[in-house]
Amino acid sequence: MTTPPASPIDPSAAARGVPALDIRGLRKRFGPAEIIRGVDLAIPSGERHALIGPNGAGKSTLFNLISGLIAPSAGEVWLHGAVISALPAYQINRRGLSRSFQVTNIFRRMSVWENVRCAVLWAKGERYAFWREIDGNDDVTARTHQVLTDINLLARKDIPAGVLTYAEQRALEIGITMAGGCNVILLDEPTAGMSRAETERAVELIRRISERRTLLIVEHDMSVVFGLADRISVLVYGEIIATGTPADIRGNAKVKEAYLGEEAH
Amino acid sequence: MNDRVTTSAPAAAPAAATTRAGAGALDRIAPYAGWIAFALALVLLPLVFRSGTALTMMSLMGINIIFSLSYNMLLGQTGMLSFGHAVYFGLGAYFTVHAINAAIASGLPIPLFLMPLVGALGGLGFAMLFGWVSTKRSGTAFAMISLGLAELVGSSSLILRSFFGGEEGVSTNRTKLLHVLGWNFGPQIQVYYLIAIWCFICVVLMYALTRTPFGRMCNAVRDNPERVQFIGYNPQVVRYVPFSLSGLFAGIAGALSAVNFEFANAAIFSAVQSGNVLLATFIGGAGHFIGPILGAVLLTYLQNMLSDITDVWQLYFGLMFIAVVMYAPGGLAGLIMMHRTIWRAGVLWRLGPAYALMVVPVALVGGGMVLIIEMSPHLSVKEAEGSVMSMAGIHFDARSWQPWAPALVTLFVGAAWWRRGWRRVGGAWDSAQRIAREKGLLV
Repeated sequence: MTTPPASPIDPSAAARGVPALDIRGLRKRFGPAEIIRGVDLAIPSGERHALIGPNGAGKSTLFNLISGLIAPSAGEVWLHGAVISALPAYQINRRGLSRSFQVTNIFRRMSVWENVRCAVLWAKGERYAFWREIDGNDDVTARTHQVLTDINLLARKDIPAGVLTYAEQRALEIGITMAGGCNVILLDEPTAGMSRAETERAVELIRRISERRTLLIVEHDMSVVFGLADRISVLVYGEIIATGTPADIRGNAKVKEAYLGEEAH
Repeated sequence: MNDRVTTSAPAAAPAAATTRAGAGALDRIAPYAGWIAFALALVLLPLVFRSGTALTMMSLMGINIIFSLSYNMLLGQTGMLSFGHAVYFGLGAYFTVHAINAAIASGLPIPLFLMPLVGALGGLGFAMLFGWVSTKRSGTAFAMISLGLAELVGSSSLILRSFFGGEEGVSTNRTKLLHVLGWNFGPQIQVYYLIAIWCFICVVLMYALTRTPFGRMCNAVRDNPERVQFIGYNPQVVRYVPFSLSGLFAGIAGALSAVNFEFANAAIFSAVQSGNVLLATFIGGAGHFIGPILGAVLLTYLQNMLSDITDVWQLYFGLMFIAVVMYAPGGLAGLIMMHRTIWRAGVLWRLGPAYALMVVPVALVGGGMVLIIEMSPHLSVKEAEGSVMSMAGIHFDARSWQPWAPALVTLFVGAAWWRRGWRRVGGAWDSAQRIAREKGLLV
């Protein structure tokens, strides 16, 4: 009804030059402390955009504002040309924006299969149906199967999600985020705490799922950021101090001083 | 329901074409074997247990099964702890009593069998009304609101005398309605079958609900309401729907209680009533669909049996509840499922010796506790009746030290023994689980 089934990139909107995600003058204040101090950022459809910045810069807060977990003090967020910043989280999700969490946020007592299937249900039109058998929807079953194959957890589908290994839980976190078929995906430090090999697999997965989708990713691992992103924004103390291609950002003096200086020895 | 029920796999491959038709039919009904057994049990039980006491008790069991399962839609399925579920049970009962009286007065040809529908609507209606407020919150806030609403309805029932009839309550006569097939519902056996049919219908419906998209989202809200918002669902709605439906089923249970007793009074809203359904559900096991059924049967039985034997039967309930919370948080159903895994691994026998060694300490601790519990009221509330009492045919004076000394010694010796035996049980479990894990039956 209210929700068009989320499909990868709306060609007409993209052709008109409407950004998939458009953040305008966004501010967030907690008491006297202003954590987000006027962020402007437009991400065109199909772009992989990385958000970097030192700890405490406000990256996760920005994600919480965009995804509707908390309300902004001022400013707006636009999704495909419509304001979403006054909407509750579940309506933002129905409009095609999905996010993952920095701290794994899954359904621990339910099986891996059910975790993914729950994330598929709304997009497949099941809503709050209590008069249909869940196993009867082949569309839902097929999509769940597909997502589990993508995140390489099909063999573990009957296990309670809470007993998966850490890396598997991170993969499931991404699976839940993408399962509904949203076309704007926000990933909050998807590779945090992973080994080198696990990170490589995760990056491969992220690259695959973000094809024909718009991606905004917070990441601390610079090799991931520079390998994955079309453009990068640098957030420092609640402000974006630079946005540009990986090459631009590498050469940017302000960024070097504020952030990369410490990391890129 | 079991959280791990689901596989996407299509139902077992169609029976080979060469299979005889009879075997094919058997395959088709096999998935329903449990339901058929349940239906048969409901039909046959009164033929096995013929006494009036048994019939009365089985009628109560049927009512309490519905009530506990409806409670578990909240507690086990959606993770909502309610302290006021008796509200919907009680309102269902009152609406039914009034509906029966109205039908008798107006002479409308409505059979008694359909009267639980009135209770269902009453329960549903008020659950939708009260749930509108209470399900806006979850966790502790929800629990507190449920408690407040129970107090509200409980005290209203004493004030609004025209509807609730005050402490005397409202009575009715179930035999005066339209008789279908010559059943007048005078004899308890007819009432039993009415309850059994409704019980079967409700259990099937509530089980079916766990197999729907909505049922699955209830589990998701139980596990992680925050994340639910980010997969498109409004957790408040996911709480509101099961709350309303659970009011509906509680209303049916209340209606059957009204039919059974031909009576409803303010005590039906009491905290004891709300507490009992919580106890039954928890002791039976909230994590499995069958848990509340086991809990309702067990507690109904104990309630009737223990209250004949001892005055302090509620104390035993409390102790049992504490024991379950501390040692078997999955309840009876949880214990059964744990053992089923071990049984499948073929190593259940390994637990045998350790369990056998626990028999004596359990008996000692139990015996010591029972003795102390039974002697205590003779020193306090029942002092006037004198302190001489008898147990197992032995007479003794609860005020002298002679019975207390052996009771305390038994208790402490048993407890020490228990600790040692329990370690063995733990060891046996570890090794059995290790084998189950190796066989891939346990993660």
